[in-house]
Amino acid sequence: MLDRIIGPRRTRQLNRLLHKGKVTILCLVLTIVVLRGNLGAGKFGTPEQDFKEIRETFYQYRSRRAEPRRVLEELQTTTEQTTSSVTTNSYAEFDINKLFVDEEDDVKKNVNEPYSIGPKISDWDEQRGNWLKQNPNFPNFVNGNKPRVLLVTGSSPKPCENPVGDHYLLKSIKNKIDYCRIHGIEIFYNMALLDAEMAGFWAKLPLIRKLLLSHPEVEFLWWMDSDAMFTDMAFEIPWERYKDRNLVMHGWNEMVYDEKNWIGLNTGSFLLRNCQWSLDLIDVWAPMGPKGKIRDEAGKLLTRELKDRPVFEADDQSAMVWILASQKDRWANKVYLENHYYLHGYWGILVDRYEEMIASYHPGFGDHRWPLVTHFVGCKPCGKFGDYPVERCLKQMDRAFNFGDNQILQMYGFTHKSLASRRVKQTRNDSSNPLEVKDELGLLHPAYKVVKVSSS
Amino acid sequence: MGQEGAQKRGSSTLPTTTTAGGHRTGRSIRGGSRQIHKTLNNIKITILCGLVTILVLRGTIGFGSLSSDNDQENQAIIEETNRILEEIRSDKDPDDPEDNQNQPTINLNDTYSLGPKILNWDEERRLWLNQNQDFPNIVNGKARILLVTGSPPNPCDNAIGDHYLLKSIKNKIDYCRIHGIEIVYNMAHLDKELSGYWAKLPLIRRLMLSHPEVEWIWWMDSDALFTDMVFELPLDKYKDHNLVIHGYQDLLFNQKSWIALNTGSFLFRNCQWSLDLLDDWAPMGPKGPVREEAGKILTANLKGRPAFEADDQSALIYLLITKTEWMKKVFIENSFFLHGYWAGLVDRYEEMMEKYHPGLGDERWPFVTHFVGCKPCGSYGDYPVQRCLSSMERAFNFADNQVLKLYGFRHRGLLSPKIKRIRNETVNPLQYVDQFDIRHSGQGTSN
Repeated sequence: MLDRIIGPRRTRQLNRLLHKGKVTILCLVLTIVVLRGNLGAGKFGTPEQDFKEIRETFYQYRSRRAEPRRVLEELQTTTEQTTSSVTTNSYAEFDINKLFVDEEDDVKKNVNEPYSIGPKISDWDEQRGNWLKQNPNFPNFVNGNKPRVLLVTGSSPKPCENPVGDHYLLKSIKNKIDYCRIHGIEIFYNMALLDAEMAGFWAKLPLIRKLLLSHPEVEFLWWMDSDAMFTDMAFEIPWERYKDRNLVMHGWNEMVYDEKNWIGLNTGSFLLRNCQWSLDLIDVWAPMGPKGKIRDEAGKLLTRELKDRPVFEADDQSAMVWILASQKDRWANKVYLENHYYLHGYWGILVDRYEEMIASYHPGFGDHRWPLVTHFVGCKPCGKFGDYPVERCLKQMDRAFNFGDNQILQMYGFTHKSLASRRVKQTRNDSSNPLEVKDELGLLHPAYKVVKVSSS
Repeated sequence: MGQEGAQKRGSSTLPTTTTAGGHRTGRSIRGGSRQIHKTLNNIKITILCGLVTILVLRGTIGFGSLSSDNDQENQAIIEETNRILEEIRSDKDPDDPEDNQNQPTINLNDTYSLGPKILNWDEERRLWLNQNQDFPNIVNGKARILLVTGSPPNPCDNAIGDHYLLKSIKNKIDYCRIHGIEIVYNMAHLDKELSGYWAKLPLIRRLMLSHPEVEWIWWMDSDALFTDMVFELPLDKYKDHNLVIHGYQDLLFNQKSWIALNTGSFLFRNCQWSLDLLDDWAPMGPKGPVREEAGKILTANLKGRPAFEADDQSALIYLLITKTEWMKKVFIENSFFLHGYWAGLVDRYEEMMEKYHPGLGDERWPFVTHFVGCKPCGSYGDYPVQRCLSSMERAFNFADNQVLKLYGFRHRGLLSPKIKRIRNETVNPLQYVDQFDIRHSGQGTSN
């Protein structure tokens, strides 16, 4: 038909053009699709996200909830809550998040100001030394050569997203209370976020600094994660070993200084001396922490520099590895990477062996034979998603708790019926001469609890 | 391919152009086969492109039914998790074949005993303290106190309960750290018979006998919070007494009210007298018919007591009323709130912060705020949940403000979990330590 209008040759050219055009457009479309699929298109996202959006709007029209279902959600029906929420006596129907009221807004931070964890202090050793002299009632060493220790741990001031998360936090703090009572250590349980920029795993830094400065009588600050439990109640930290060191962490020298492995050390349980060196270290450690761009960029740097580190924002542990590896001359001589006992013990290799340990060994070793600390890295019982199956994590946390609790209960003549059981049974009959009964582990009146009787 | 087609078309009219395998059959057939080829080519192109598109899309978006496997997977995970949570929450013991339900309970004629009778505890304890000078019962001029509290070993019926148990123990840790008191947090049922609120009796006895260096055992309920972090117990007042408990003489002896005393927060001296009192107190406790019958007696004899099984508080009141010789060594304290009933206190916190200061311990700044009846660990309380929980949150933050003061922070309102600065960071932090640390400044001590 076109033949008659423009002539056959032109028609042919036109047709050719059309075909070429078709092919070009087709190839162009394919290229765009492939590129979008792999690289994304800025704010428009990838086809996958498109698809999700489409699906969500589709679902919305069918009046289903737009947000994705979460795994560990309390599956209570939330119908007809509005009328009865104010007067209900039932705890199941209440939404705790409606309770909190912030009477003031967040302080708007000046974006251009570089982050600082606090004003630089350069004479802390001197200040502290003077204070200790003026306050002989608050010595930093009790009983001669045992330093005064403050164990610091904490959790969020809001309820856990996981319905049993708070219960495990409670068990964990009870476990710490028991160990610390026996060993004469004080506890600080933190539930306040001191610095909104250093949220998440970095929250410990401003807290540690604040506590060091507010408690000059404390010689060592022992940070311990909330998911770490004491499993050897009889083991006393060998303080003498660290008399010339300021930072003690579980780890291996080769893995940190030579391999730069991101798990070469663990910052879930470590000791930090209260001195100028520590303040300087915190000042160097903190800059990777402020959330947002700084933390993301720092994360990329750390993934690049450290061995085997996955891609995610900067965390305090990787930052510590990097600092020690890259500034070895400045810090390494005061850092002790301890691996002769489990100042931090990765739970995966320990929890299945508890029965074997009970059969073959006894408390007091602190090492692979009877670990001091079992640390449930990755379980995240307070959150909704962990890195491991829920059942394994929670059941093993129960076992670790009971394993430690048995050592406490044996002081009073009891023990758990089994490592999985909450019930206890008596191991010895009540005596009418209770003072003659000695507890096997000597934890009731241990040597490290003695009080030097002063002249008062 | 399109070009090939064009060329082929071209070859039919321009004999000079070469073709790649052109057909020289008749025109019509040529034309027809060309049409077919064209169509075939088009189809080939279309199919090829379609395939490529599908592959690419599949690679990025994924395919499958719209309802997606994801949801089904999620559903399975949710069910599995619920099963695990149910198991954890239940009281069933995986290793205990004979679950307690079938155990015979003590019947009315048996006598129950907390343990073998001890007759000379004061003497034995004194000997022990002499031999163990390293574990004195008086440290830095203060008698050694052991704070005892606890909660059941299984998770609360709902998550909020556990959260408030956690806040409550943090609150106690803070007070005890400031005042040099040790804590025992109990999560074990030491005696099957004395369960529930009675569980504190065998526990107190056990701790007394195992820790002769402890002078005072201070029982505190898990729903009681310290709200005055500065106040210290005036132990000198009690040097001639062995049991310190909050209550009112009038309610106790004249009205015989079942809430004349409160056993949510009390102190027992570690001595023979206390062991004897515990032995006299325990008989109403064993669960089953004994406790039921005892409950009836108590309801009949105490004013205002509803009908339910015997509880430790009513039993103690009844004991003290009927055997008044015990009263010689009992100190009924009401000059400060060793136990402070929450309802009359929680709304006044802001007023207190304005007018008074910590260290008073009484109605101006209560020492302890006790959330009787709220029962956050159970499913139902005696009061509306909203009221209970917001009050507990307020009490917690009211106390926490006193702890955070040393560090230069306070809560942004009594219902807020967030904090704000009240003091700038400084290069001389020790000046504030002397001023604000409760242990050093000695501000507002009880006398």
